[in-house]
Amino acid sequence: MSDESIAVPELSPPPEKHVGTGGALAGPVPWIDKSGAVGGVFKGIRSLFTGMKITVGYLMRPSTVVTQQYPENRETLKLPDRFRAQLAFNHDANGYHKCTMCRICEEACPNVSIIITGREKPAVSKKELDSFVWRLDSCTFCNTCVIVCPFGVLRFDGTFESSVYDRRLLAYTLNEYAGPVASVLEKIEDPDARKAAMEPRDPYGGHAVIEALIVKQKAKKVAEKAAREAARVARVAAKLAAAVPPPEAENAG
Amino acid sequence: MSWQVKTIAQRTGDLLPGSPWTAALYVLLTILAVTAFVTVAGLVLIYAERKIAAHFQCRVGPMRVGWHGVLQSIADAIKLLMKEDIVPRDADALLHILAPVLSFAGMLLVMIALPMSPSLQVADMNIGVLYVTAVSGLGVLGILLGGWSSNNKWSLLGAMRAGAQIISYEVSATLALLVVVLFAGTLQLSGIVQSQDTGWWIWRAHGCGLVAFAIFMIAGTAEINRTPFDLAEGESELTAGFHTEYSGLRFSFFFLSEFLNMFVLAAMASTLFLGGWMPLHIGHFAALNGVMDLLPPGLWFALKTTAIIFLIMWFRWTFPRLRVDQLMRLEWKILLPIGFVNLFVSAACVVTGFYFFAR
Repeated sequence: MSDESIAVPELSPPPEKHVGTGGALAGPVPWIDKSGAVGGVFKGIRSLFTGMKITVGYLMRPSTVVTQQYPENRETLKLPDRFRAQLAFNHDANGYHKCTMCRICEEACPNVSIIITGREKPAVSKKELDSFVWRLDSCTFCNTCVIVCPFGVLRFDGTFESSVYDRRLLAYTLNEYAGPVASVLEKIEDPDARKAAMEPRDPYGGHAVIEALIVKQKAKKVAEKAAREAARVARVAAKLAAAVPPPEAENAG
Repeated sequence: MSWQVKTIAQRTGDLLPGSPWTAALYVLLTILAVTAFVTVAGLVLIYAERKIAAHFQCRVGPMRVGWHGVLQSIADAIKLLMKEDIVPRDADALLHILAPVLSFAGMLLVMIALPMSPSLQVADMNIGVLYVTAVSGLGVLGILLGGWSSNNKWSLLGAMRAGAQIISYEVSATLALLVVVLFAGTLQLSGIVQSQDTGWWIWRAHGCGLVAFAIFMIAGTAEINRTPFDLAEGESELTAGFHTEYSGLRFSFFFLSEFLNMFVLAAMASTLFLGGWMPLHIGHFAALNGVMDLLPPGLWFALKTTAIIFLIMWFRWTFPRLRVDQLMRLEWKILLPIGFVNLFVSAACVVTGFYFFAR
């Protein structure tokens, strides 16, 4: 056999620039200190002083303190803008929302903390939002639902005092009404008809939705089991029918 | 101006011929005073450490108990006294109980030799520096016993690290002390303080004092097991190191001796390099020296010690922990050679009288 048959993969040359730093660390490898024994000592001492300057800067300036004295300053508490405490629905000035029940957030949620139920849209075969249930007790505040929403319906806001005495109260219904989206509502001219299209929803009605869902799933499972059982019985009966020869044939033999 | 040094031991000796009972009462009061000082200083140091650490890290520290949390240490002390004192089932019970006592005793024995002011020093030995170096070694015995007797791998690892570290850094610390002993010509702590009445050793010795001070601070920080040399109890590696298995009062003994060792280190550094209770004197400039003498010597000692304690806390909350190999490299390859060269240079300075205000 010739040497050509043994394919030796050619090693790729080392990259010119460091990958992942945008070329900022181009040049000699940074973690090999070439300042020598004595130079290294002085370099180290200088870096120690740099660190000490930074920490004493924090000590000297009380304005750098980030601690909040929470129960005392409850009135004047300032939370960071991106603080994630509770998922909330964006309702506009009229109280309309833009949720079309596309269920992208429900799909994206990593631990099934969003449960969306829809209802038949009058006169159309599509569905519209009935209730948008968010479970605080299983949410990890990963923000994925906010990112994926194509209509900007969801947001995380900073109302963080969410402790309750009953775990069931941690399932919130986020939409204030069940009904069509903002663009549809705006086309309805009669205010009474518009109001009739918006069926109000209770924020703490989420648990009923979850329970109804569970009941529904259980019923579905029971029905599936019954169907499976019936199919099995039918299969066994068919098998028996095939194994036991019909009496006429026996007589003939 | 000459300073009259009168220690508590001498005063007790003066009382003895008159009435032995008065002398005994005096000794008893001294013991009580030292104990009270150790306790109060420990509480204050712990509070200061927590507050300073918090502000170094953009926090505020304890704020609830008393005004800005000033009573927090007392609350913690009461909590520790109330706690159950656990000795692990497989531990060596006797050694487990003995270890914090030894650690505390080492610290307490050093405390009596510290010259806090001309009239406030329990005992003034003519071998003061040697005594302090020797007795502070009891602390490492306590740490080793604590780690060994706990029958816990983390404890043992922490204790062995502490042993290796303290024995290594003792060499550098002693070399740095020897520089001052050479210049002062005495081992007596009050004598060393009085030898600085024309200037502190940190600047009088053409840089030798400064280098020795730096080495002493580094080695001392390593000896009291504080960050950046806290390998013995590195939380991220060994949970709590040698005192993992300790709780309640015994834990607080370890804790207290750790903080008081910081005080002892600061007091020793200020005594040897910054003149101890000696006010800031420059040579024989009587005007300046007179102004400086207006502050009492005890206050000078307190100010210098506080400044050095702040410096040690500043180190702790700025520097990252060293690795074991880096620790040993720093000692044997950097500090020790510098210490030896420094010692030779200062010996030459002493022999030739080449330093400021040589007698």
